[in-house]
Amino acid sequence: MKKTSTRRDFVRKSASALAGSVIIPYIVPSSSLGLGGQTPPADRIVMGVIGTGSQGMSDMRDFMRLKDQVRFVALCDVDAKRLASAKDVVDKTNRSKDCRTYGDYREFMEKEKLDAVLIALPDHWHGIIYSEAARKKWDVYGEKPICRTINDGKVIVKAVKDNGVIWQTGSWQRSQANFHKGAELVINGRIGKVKYIEVGLPDGGRGIGTPPVQDVPEELDWEMWLGPALKVPYRGVCHWNWRWILDYSGGQLTDWAGHHIDIANWGTGLEYTGPVEIEGKGVYPVDGIYNAPVEYDILCKYANGIEMRVANSSRLPKGMGTCWYGDLGWLHVDRGNRISASDPNILKEEIGDNETHLYKSDNHYQNFVDSVRSRKQAIAPIEPAYRAISVALLGEISMTTGQKIKWDPDKEEIIDNPTASRLLSRPYRKPWTLPTV
Amino acid sequence: MKKIKYFILTAAALALIAGGCRKSTQYAALIVTGQNTIDWQTSSTLLKQILEESGLFKAEIVNSPDAGGDMTGFRPKFSKYDVVVLNYSGDQWSENTKQDFAGYVKNGGGVVVYHAASSAFPGWKEYEEICGLTGWGDRSEKTGPYVYFNRAGRMVVDSTPGPAGWYGKTRDFEVRMRNPGHPVTKGLPVRWMHPDDLLFARLRGPAGNIDVLATAFCDTTGGGTGREEPVMMAVTYGKGRVFHTTLGFPSGDENIALKCAGFITTLQRGAEWAASGKVTQEVPPDFPSAAAISVRPNLKIRTLDENIEGLGEYDIGKSTRFYTGIQEEIRRAAGDKTKLLEIEKKLTELLNNPSATVEAKKLVLRELSWIGTDYSLPAIKKLQAVPELKDEADFAIERLGAN
Repeated sequence: MKKTSTRRDFVRKSASALAGSVIIPYIVPSSSLGLGGQTPPADRIVMGVIGTGSQGMSDMRDFMRLKDQVRFVALCDVDAKRLASAKDVVDKTNRSKDCRTYGDYREFMEKEKLDAVLIALPDHWHGIIYSEAARKKWDVYGEKPICRTINDGKVIVKAVKDNGVIWQTGSWQRSQANFHKGAELVINGRIGKVKYIEVGLPDGGRGIGTPPVQDVPEELDWEMWLGPALKVPYRGVCHWNWRWILDYSGGQLTDWAGHHIDIANWGTGLEYTGPVEIEGKGVYPVDGIYNAPVEYDILCKYANGIEMRVANSSRLPKGMGTCWYGDLGWLHVDRGNRISASDPNILKEEIGDNETHLYKSDNHYQNFVDSVRSRKQAIAPIEPAYRAISVALLGEISMTTGQKIKWDPDKEEIIDNPTASRLLSRPYRKPWTLPTV
Repeated sequence: MKKIKYFILTAAALALIAGGCRKSTQYAALIVTGQNTIDWQTSSTLLKQILEESGLFKAEIVNSPDAGGDMTGFRPKFSKYDVVVLNYSGDQWSENTKQDFAGYVKNGGGVVVYHAASSAFPGWKEYEEICGLTGWGDRSEKTGPYVYFNRAGRMVVDSTPGPAGWYGKTRDFEVRMRNPGHPVTKGLPVRWMHPDDLLFARLRGPAGNIDVLATAFCDTTGGGTGREEPVMMAVTYGKGRVFHTTLGFPSGDENIALKCAGFITTLQRGAEWAASGKVTQEVPPDFPSAAAISVRPNLKIRTLDENIEGLGEYDIGKSTRFYTGIQEEIRRAAGDKTKLLEIEKKLTELLNNPSATVEAKKLVLRELSWIGTDYSLPAIKKLQAVPELKDEADFAIERLGAN
């Protein structure tokens, strides 16, 4: 990754953030002036949040646990109630009432002067807002999956790279010891040469049928929530459950791809490439407003011969998590600090000085803050996130078309299938357009 | 001589045509009923229709004498059939009939044990072996262990003393495939919702020769077990193959449990496997998933035309099943241009049809946005001028790269 910012730039940026406080006045508490052993302002990251729903709030609280290293100064959400309760949380932490709130991200972006922004939005909004944030040269902590379509993903990756911003994907498993250890053992050949990987992600669940049109809650700007997605009437499905509707997400498959596929790629050096063949089969709800596949079984082949199967966990012998199969054994990792191997002794192996050492972080949020300060790449940069979700999105295209997809991971194009290639993007509803970077 | 030749040729041609229309193999099925704790008339009629709907079976129904009647003369010729479907739970058969049946299975006959037949013939040991698991009557641990699955998905064979057989109230529940590699279950969703049925629990039996294909969770309401209970089993007995399903309680006027596409499909596949050891039937496009039940009111799979017609009347709040049916046909076309064009033509007709709803046309435009060709393009472009369809038409035109 090109590093276009320096420590000096960063200090200047922080200074301009303070300058911004002159335009939009707020009282700088004495604690941020570096008195009484507190973090001095130049090292304190001034942050905003776009998307104060459950994931945004969870991330925000994790940043707040870093104490005075971060100060949230502005929030944006299309749901006024959520915005108000997020402001309460921030105000309490800041011991001031100055945190600014916005219902429209465009105004947020125009008025705010930030070092970094936390973005936790439904997937269909990522293309526009991630790219715009990068264009503002804000460092971004962005939730996975980083895009709803491959085309969105390409634009986002380019925006992040071109603008030299620090990017951290919310794929926090990378900062967990068991996942790090598993990936590091595998990449150093402790199970031999990896031939095959199984990635188990959650099964889809019950639908809710076909609810009627309902009044939009007063606090919700439904038009803005839909944004670039096709206009549909409000039917009671919005926060959280947008994930089961294909206009906004690909269901459990795309929700979790950024975790376990990402880990699979990390342990096999596939982070900066993609599969060359993808064949998937999905089980779709036969009725109801939720239309994302509830089961999926996708087999991918990589140019180096590795095969990766991604399926809902009920279909796989090891269930959830990532399992690498090498010619000397297997190694499986999952949440809950789980790590196991065909031979338990594999797990006791040390990695020598001359071997590959994967990036180490034991706190995903601290790692982002450190990277913002140091201008060194964070543990979960943009391209691996894009490559991880690409596997799921290409699987989705294969399931939708019922065809095996051939993919050129360098050109990032589907080979010889113009019909399937149309599914690489979802056109934006006017007036929204995907930024050209 | 000429006439004979002509006859042979005609017969061969007819056979070819017939083969093209329906599956060439016809298995003979016998549904044995006449006494049961459930509505055996209705369920037997439905079972016959379900089997014959597959195109693989010719099914007959044989009724035993009424309860308390003389059973000595009731002696169906089991060996004439490829598969015997037991929809029976009543008076004990005569020893001769029992021997005939056990011999039939031992010699390689196929059996489907359906629903309440799990409770038939207490004390007949061979029958319990054929079923794998049974219940009720005066059965207890003496019949064999209680077999269930724990939440981790492992089979538990529990020899603790206790009663055999339990059911609660009819309700919807999720079926979970436990052996997705078996011919009966292969290719089917591993989790699917099943409507309005009685879930049998605490079944006991010899259990030595059973392959539990699927279970369902019996919640603790009304004394339920809180365990994953077997609902489908493959059993081997001698050379015979037995498909045992505890599903399919006929209830109310609708008999929804029997009209569930999941029940129909597994019964058809289970019967084929019992008859032949293999399954040649494709996974139907309307098989349910964990998300929603799927019911076939007339036991038939909807055709493309029926889906198109249903979609034409779609509105917000109505079932999306016609739309998802078309989407499934598109997936199954797997890029076949001829099939896709056939679907595209019908979708285009809908776009041009003034009586099709606006909401239906919106859904059609979403599909045409990627399968569309020059065929549908003029119809799509025309809709760009219709305010309530402009967004969807623009969406399609942009994705087709036709703007």
